[in-house]
Amino acid sequence: MALLEVNDLKTHFRTDDGVVRAVDGVSFTVDKGQTLGIVGESGSGKSVTCLTIMGLNPRRSAMTTGQALWKGEDLLTANPRRLREIRGSEIAMIFQDPMTSLNPVHKIGDQLAEAMRLHEDVSKKRARARALELLKAVGIPRPERRLDDYPHQFSGGMRQRVMIAMALINNPDLLIADEPTTALDVTTQAQILTLIEKLQEEFGSAVIMITHDLGVVAEIADDVVVMYAAEVAEKGGVEQIFKKPHHPYTWGLMGSLPRLDIDVERLVQIQGQPPSLLRPPSGCRFHPRCPYVMPVCKEIDPPLTAVSGDLGHLQACHLDEETKNREAAKLLAGMMAEAS
Amino acid sequence: MAFKQDTANQQPMQQTALDLTGDELLVVQDLKKHFPVTRGIVFQKEVASVKAVDGVSFALNEGETLGVVGESGCGKSTMARCIMKLLEPTSGTIRFRGHDLSRLSRAEMRPFRREMMMIFQDPYASLNPRKRVGFIVAEALEVHKLGTDAEIKRRVQELLEVVGLNPEHYNRFPHEFSGGQRQRIGVARALAVNPKLIVCDEPVSALDVSVQAQILNLLKDLQRDFNLTYVFIAHDLNVVRHISDRVMVMYLGQVAETATRQDLYAHPMHPYTGALLSAVPVPDPTVGRHRKRIVLEGDVPSPINPPSACRFHPRCPRFVEGHCDVEEPALIPRGTSTSHVTKCHYPLERWPMSEEEMRVAGSATHAAAAASAPAETGS
Amino acid sequence: MWAFVLFVAVTVVTYIIFYAIPADPARLACGQRATAECIKRAAHYLGTDRPLYVQYGKFFGRLMPFSLRGTPHLKEPSLGRSFTNRLSVNYVVGHAAPVTASLVFGGAVFWMLIALPIGILSALRPRSLLDRLAMVGVLIGISAHPVWIGLLFAYFFGFKLGAFPITGYCDLISPSGSCGGPVQWAYHLFLPWCTFAILFAALYVRMIRANVMEALNEDYVRTARAKGAPEWLVMRSHVLRNALLPIVTMLGMDIGLALGGAIFTESVYGLPGLGKTVITAIGGFDLPVTQGVVVFATICIITFNLLVDMLYAVIDPRIRLS
Repeated sequence: MALLEVNDLKTHFRTDDGVVRAVDGVSFTVDKGQTLGIVGESGSGKSVTCLTIMGLNPRRSAMTTGQALWKGEDLLTANPRRLREIRGSEIAMIFQDPMTSLNPVHKIGDQLAEAMRLHEDVSKKRARARALELLKAVGIPRPERRLDDYPHQFSGGMRQRVMIAMALINNPDLLIADEPTTALDVTTQAQILTLIEKLQEEFGSAVIMITHDLGVVAEIADDVVVMYAAEVAEKGGVEQIFKKPHHPYTWGLMGSLPRLDIDVERLVQIQGQPPSLLRPPSGCRFHPRCPYVMPVCKEIDPPLTAVSGDLGHLQACHLDEETKNREAAKLLAGMMAEAS
Repeated sequence: MAFKQDTANQQPMQQTALDLTGDELLVVQDLKKHFPVTRGIVFQKEVASVKAVDGVSFALNEGETLGVVGESGCGKSTMARCIMKLLEPTSGTIRFRGHDLSRLSRAEMRPFRREMMMIFQDPYASLNPRKRVGFIVAEALEVHKLGTDAEIKRRVQELLEVVGLNPEHYNRFPHEFSGGQRQRIGVARALAVNPKLIVCDEPVSALDVSVQAQILNLLKDLQRDFNLTYVFIAHDLNVVRHISDRVMVMYLGQVAETATRQDLYAHPMHPYTGALLSAVPVPDPTVGRHRKRIVLEGDVPSPINPPSACRFHPRCPRFVEGHCDVEEPALIPRGTSTSHVTKCHYPLERWPMSEEEMRVAGSATHAAAAASAPAETGS
Repeated sequence: MWAFVLFVAVTVVTYIIFYAIPADPARLACGQRATAECIKRAAHYLGTDRPLYVQYGKFFGRLMPFSLRGTPHLKEPSLGRSFTNRLSVNYVVGHAAPVTASLVFGGAVFWMLIALPIGILSALRPRSLLDRLAMVGVLIGISAHPVWIGLLFAYFFGFKLGAFPITGYCDLISPSGSCGGPVQWAYHLFLPWCTFAILFAALYVRMIRANVMEALNEDYVRTARAKGAPEWLVMRSHVLRNALLPIVTMLGMDIGLALGGAIFTESVYGLPGLGKTVITAIGGFDLPVTQGVVVFATICIITFNLLVDMLYAVIDPRIRLS
């Protein structure tokens, strides 16, 4: 049985301007010890999907349908107390901006200990000792002294490590990381990613990595979900997505990235900009920007179908299989040919 | 190469010999910008200084793009502002078309301002939300009195078209545009006076990936069409590689390495450049997972109290005790090419590095790193 | 250091203002039939025939807790003597201050008791009925003048309903004359407390609401919820702890300011506090008393500001280490 099974998740927000359809039918699974990468740009719904799973959306304005089965139990209909039990101990989440994600007036040691004592009945001493263990595990130098420091005394990279320590303190089965390295320098990013990988091995947790960076996904994900405008455009194993992408958006994403190993004169650009989630385009949401648009695309939102019969690789596009194979091959060949 | 020893404070003062032909568009020599840190309410005493830029030199030819890369705290944005004279440099020279700008007064700078323009990082903050787009683009033209009202209006519409916007949107406000479109407005604004040099301070960092490509392509097209010269600042090595002819890597206010694009990415010499390159994630699962990364330990030290001699020595995998922490390396060519300069006593010999070259520094360096002012406040 | 400079500046200005006013205390002291002889004698007695800077110097000298006349020795700082009734200003201020203090501190408790729950609840339920009512209340509270409110209250609750006394003050501790003791003290102060509190409560409701709303949106609150913390803990330990930080400091400053004399409320209710005292003194051109109240108020403000600064350093770790 999968650790986490998300089925047709939808989250709509009531706002003054109307209903924002932030997540509109997303499904995926995460197995034990596996890493899932959710890729998308701003407004794709990738963060909201995970916030919905965790039950962290503002209660008053969020309307959610679908299922999020955690070890068989539906989190979306669970009572708040059960959700609070799970949050922080079985599923943990870390966020993008380490500068603001820690309470500035409490010591780091106290915040870490709080994470443990919320779920386990232990003494302050024991919690503090465990916090120390975790600080060592995430590579913070001189951890005994740092336990009594405040967040503003740490740099961005160190704060993110503290966040990771806080997330892992109860040995969660799943760690959700929402763009954990976007606000960090590239060398710090490398440190954090290496750390996450190492800890994943040590603790055996599954990871959902939310990011807009295809490079990060390629490096650490086993499976990938590409999201566009609150829907899933394509999903599959990381090799399949990168070697045989079958959605025009994925092609656009991959072609528009400047690369270190490849020289191109002109980057592939996706014209237009990401759509509004208040009034999403009719039919396929990508159609206003798609170079391959056909009349049917404006009417019918394509369902997820298997690529070449492989149920592990699904995509949502009306283009026929042959064209897709050809375009995918062209894209990759184009990238290979210029490789120095 | 001149090498003076300042015995007063043990720091060798260096002069970088730039390979100058005389007709470069922009020549910056030993640029420094220090921000004083003061104490005391009534009588302010300078107790320290933030050495944001501490000796940067480079030369740029017309029509070229110099990419400037570095992480937070390296001083690239401060340097950009110094070149544009938005900040007064503490010392050093900035020669633009032969004229030394560093000592000019505000009035004397005015004619030069037409020739150097800047594009900023945040498309949401860099446009005045209460002004219409037409006004924003036309402002420089009006200040320098470059035409009648009708002529200016026509030019603005022309510019909007050139950057890919609808000229009919002349009267709209910034909030009616998306991030990518706002950045195009910023580009139009910079182009209005036909400058020779455009300094781009992280112009695509705040944009989505799909929009980023549009702006990069636009900048390249405009460079070709109008023979522009760019100083392109970014922290994303991929982006810099795509758009630059030459690349300069900065660390803690100084230049670590400068080379042509091909040279830098294929044969980096400075270990910091190597670390940067190996840290960039590659969107290819077969390549990405199996390559060996140089993972640097610790954080970037504070520019108030930079490490002695070579600034990178506390984190450097090739650190040699007794040399790297005592004698500051000069920024000189150390390989076969004269245009490829690096500030390192033990530059990388091979790229990618071999296993033994990649040993992350041992305990001795960590002690040094711990001692030399780890960043107290977030950068 | 600044505090001292400020203090000197304030007192000098008071002196100068007094001398810009065309009224002669000596003449007033002599009453209706002021002969030149009388005026001259009064002026000499009061000290007003000396040049301005000499007067100021003497004032300052009296104020200092030590004396340099003869051998240096400690003495009691004195604010001089009233021009109108020759009472020691120390005495006058000393008797008026506790009244004002009772009003202000009690009022502060009142306004916080009102503002905290309303502010927090409004922030938790924005745009609900409660919130909208609260905002209307705030508007009224800020716009309505304390004198008007005071008179209204005095009329309805004091006169019409007879529930509370209209004027007068009772000592907290020593029963003297007609009333005294804590119950009477509170009874007489109840309406003044309400009146005084309304304006501040309105301001604070708005501030608290804004701060709490902002704190609720902070990332670290999201982190706390993600850890599985129950809502009450999130509120107590994360939201309120941060939102109320600036409120505490504002409270300190406002109290310091109000101690200088809650003039309007004291006037309406006839409380013999500093406000009333200073108004009477100004009307009678009684420089020493005015000066005395000004000195006291300045000291209060400066002290409270210093306290607030120190308090902030204690409760906000970010300030501590800079």
